[in-house]
Amino acid sequence: MRNSVTLIRTLLKMQFSMVGKSTSEQVGMAIAILFAIPFAGLILSIMNSLIGGLYQQLAPTGNENAVLGLVFIALTVIFLFIGLTSILSSFYFAENIEALLSFPFHPYQIILGKSAFPMILIYIANAAILAPLLIFYGLHSGAGLLYYFYALIIWGIFPLVPFAVIAILLMFLMRFANISKNKDRTKVLAGLFSFVMIIGVNIVIRMNNDGQSTGQIATLIQEENKLLNMLTGAFPTAYFSSISLTQPASWTGLLYLFIMIAISVGAVILFLTFGQKLYFKGVLGLSGGHKKTFNEQKVLRKVKEQRVFLTLLKKELRIIFRTPTFFTQCIVQSLFAPVFLVVILLFERSGSISSVGTMLEQFNGKTTILILFLFSCLIVALNPTAVSSVSRDGKSWALYLYVPVDRSSVLLSKITAAWVISLLPIGIIAGFALISIDLQLGIWVAWLMITLIASWFTCLVGTILDMQNPKLDWTDEQEIFKRMMAFFALILEATVIGLTTLLIWLIPIINGIWLTTLMLVITMGVLITAGHTLLLTFIKKTA
Amino acid sequence: MIELNNVSKSFGGTQVVSNLNLSIPKGKIFGFLGPNGAGKSTTIKMITGILPIDEGTININGIDVAKHPLETKKNFGYVPDRSDIFLRLKGIEYLNFIGDVYNVPQDIRQTKIEQLTKSFGVYEALDDHIHTYSHGMRQKIVVSGVLLHDPDVWILDEPLSGLDPKSSYTLKEMMREHADQGNTVFFSTHVLEVVEQLCDEVAIINKGQLEFHGNMKDMKQQFQDDDNLEKVFLELTQNA
Repeated sequence: MRNSVTLIRTLLKMQFSMVGKSTSEQVGMAIAILFAIPFAGLILSIMNSLIGGLYQQLAPTGNENAVLGLVFIALTVIFLFIGLTSILSSFYFAENIEALLSFPFHPYQIILGKSAFPMILIYIANAAILAPLLIFYGLHSGAGLLYYFYALIIWGIFPLVPFAVIAILLMFLMRFANISKNKDRTKVLAGLFSFVMIIGVNIVIRMNNDGQSTGQIATLIQEENKLLNMLTGAFPTAYFSSISLTQPASWTGLLYLFIMIAISVGAVILFLTFGQKLYFKGVLGLSGGHKKTFNEQKVLRKVKEQRVFLTLLKKELRIIFRTPTFFTQCIVQSLFAPVFLVVILLFERSGSISSVGTMLEQFNGKTTILILFLFSCLIVALNPTAVSSVSRDGKSWALYLYVPVDRSSVLLSKITAAWVISLLPIGIIAGFALISIDLQLGIWVAWLMITLIASWFTCLVGTILDMQNPKLDWTDEQEIFKRMMAFFALILEATVIGLTTLLIWLIPIINGIWLTTLMLVITMGVLITAGHTLLLTFIKKTA
Repeated sequence: MIELNNVSKSFGGTQVVSNLNLSIPKGKIFGFLGPNGAGKSTTIKMITGILPIDEGTININGIDVAKHPLETKKNFGYVPDRSDIFLRLKGIEYLNFIGDVYNVPQDIRQTKIEQLTKSFGVYEALDDHIHTYSHGMRQKIVVSGVLLHDPDVWILDEPLSGLDPKSSYTLKEMMREHADQGNTVFFSTHVLEVVEQLCDEVAIINKGQLEFHGNMKDMKQQFQDDDNLEKVFLELTQNA
């Protein structure tokens, strides 16, 4: 036990250490927390009205346990989702696994230590989502002290079962499927799976509640009570927890609470037992790698002369696509916003997506272009590829210092790589706008043009910012994306682009689609030229 | 030829290289020795342009490193002490990348890649990602990259660490051959046997200052003829 505690403490210390974090990063983190407070207030009020609305609709017919049933099912799905990526990463893909394997630890001790970080992530979600929902339910149902006592216990043990289930499943999978041979591909697939899962859940929710009010959802729950029973049947802990909390004063409530506790303890014991038996079998030999069959012709075919810029650009893109963390952060995350947008528009209740086009036509050409410009700037500015341009190289950055390559070519290749990646979200939106939204072709062409230019600007700003303070001494690629740099870049880009838009909007002589577009192109052109001049100055200074 | 004239470097007020003067001639294998933290890597990083020089000048083949960085970089090949470079590229992609950076024509590239990687025993692994390579294989691919563009001056930081005996022997033979053709080979190492066996000239640095510079014969004469290099080295760096 002492070993387990030492291991948990050491691993957590390493994970949360502030050592090596600059003061600006710490200040940035504090600013982000301050910004998050009003946002959290908004989310809490939405949660409150949702619980209140559902409770009022369902309580008269005695179906209020469905409210908690739904909450616990949703939380189970969230925990399974968080657990999938964090457990896979902590148990199988962390850099420190090999070092730990050489110490005299039992497998169960290592998995206990390795569980600490994913568990903390799950409990943060638990505290942020389940705790307020349970409190709001208590307030709306006018529950007594006993409810809150039960709720506290259930809140404390509820994440254990989903965590154990997903961990045991993953340990089985890693033991028998031998995924370790394709470590990178597994990580990329896990990232893609999470993306598809989030989008899928969103689509399912939208298909089910297509624009309905809370009252309609409640009616639906009442009508389809069988469905809810079936769902909670698939998630027994959700069933026991919701029944226990809706009848805390009864023997059933107490019995179900004990059943919950027993299931949770059982899950932990099963998790440790399976861990002891399976973990080492899945994790040993992870570093072995995978060797392809050698092909002499293939090697010769690949020896090709290319321009330096092209070779630098290809190298950037290859590394982004092949490194799971970079792939997830730069590619998958950049697709979230556009894909969500498409899903939202496709599943709008009215069903007439083309109304967006008609809506835009109500504005004059200038306003339409400016709105679309701001929207696309937000989409491209959210992409972290540019703000990680230099940092992604890590210790390999040193190579550029001693090979005869112009620093400006290196940075230009990085800006271009970020720009090429931004074509993915732009392409999705552009394609969707052209096919599904009844947007005038002229507006579409003008929008696409300014978006491509604005994207170059955001990529340039991101690269300049990262070049000023790159994080090169990382041991895990995730460290690059935990910095506040992306946030600073977003604020800076929003300020510059916002002021530009405001200026053009306020000048009365600029009117119509094409003049507005021309002004935007000229302004962005000036900004981009200024940015490149600044970049060259920085390069000269550091050379 | 590499020339260091009154080169100094400080980090946070502490001088790590102090007024260093060195001339590494053509046609010689030059060993650069010193205990950990003596300033060897800092000196090498200044020569290769990785670190800016605080004071003094460094010339490679007569060109000032600080004033004409790109030109000097074309003249040397550098093997760093860490070979964890672009781990997610394949071996062949890394060599192609280096070939493009140094403008190596395709036909020469094809011949040299085959010749170098076969002699180091990594040809079979060229189509695999570098992160699946062992430490020694990574070192071999980096050394192959350096030799691919055939620079006059070789600068190697601990080049033999992690290499198996056969590859180590191959590299030592290549170093000898390169120096015999009238080129410069400058390398740092901790392995004193290699220095005794391979070097024409030696410099020993300690606490950022040059303690000795000369050929092996001079060194042994300066410190009793019957001593081996290990004893000489320990005597010179006893205050380390």
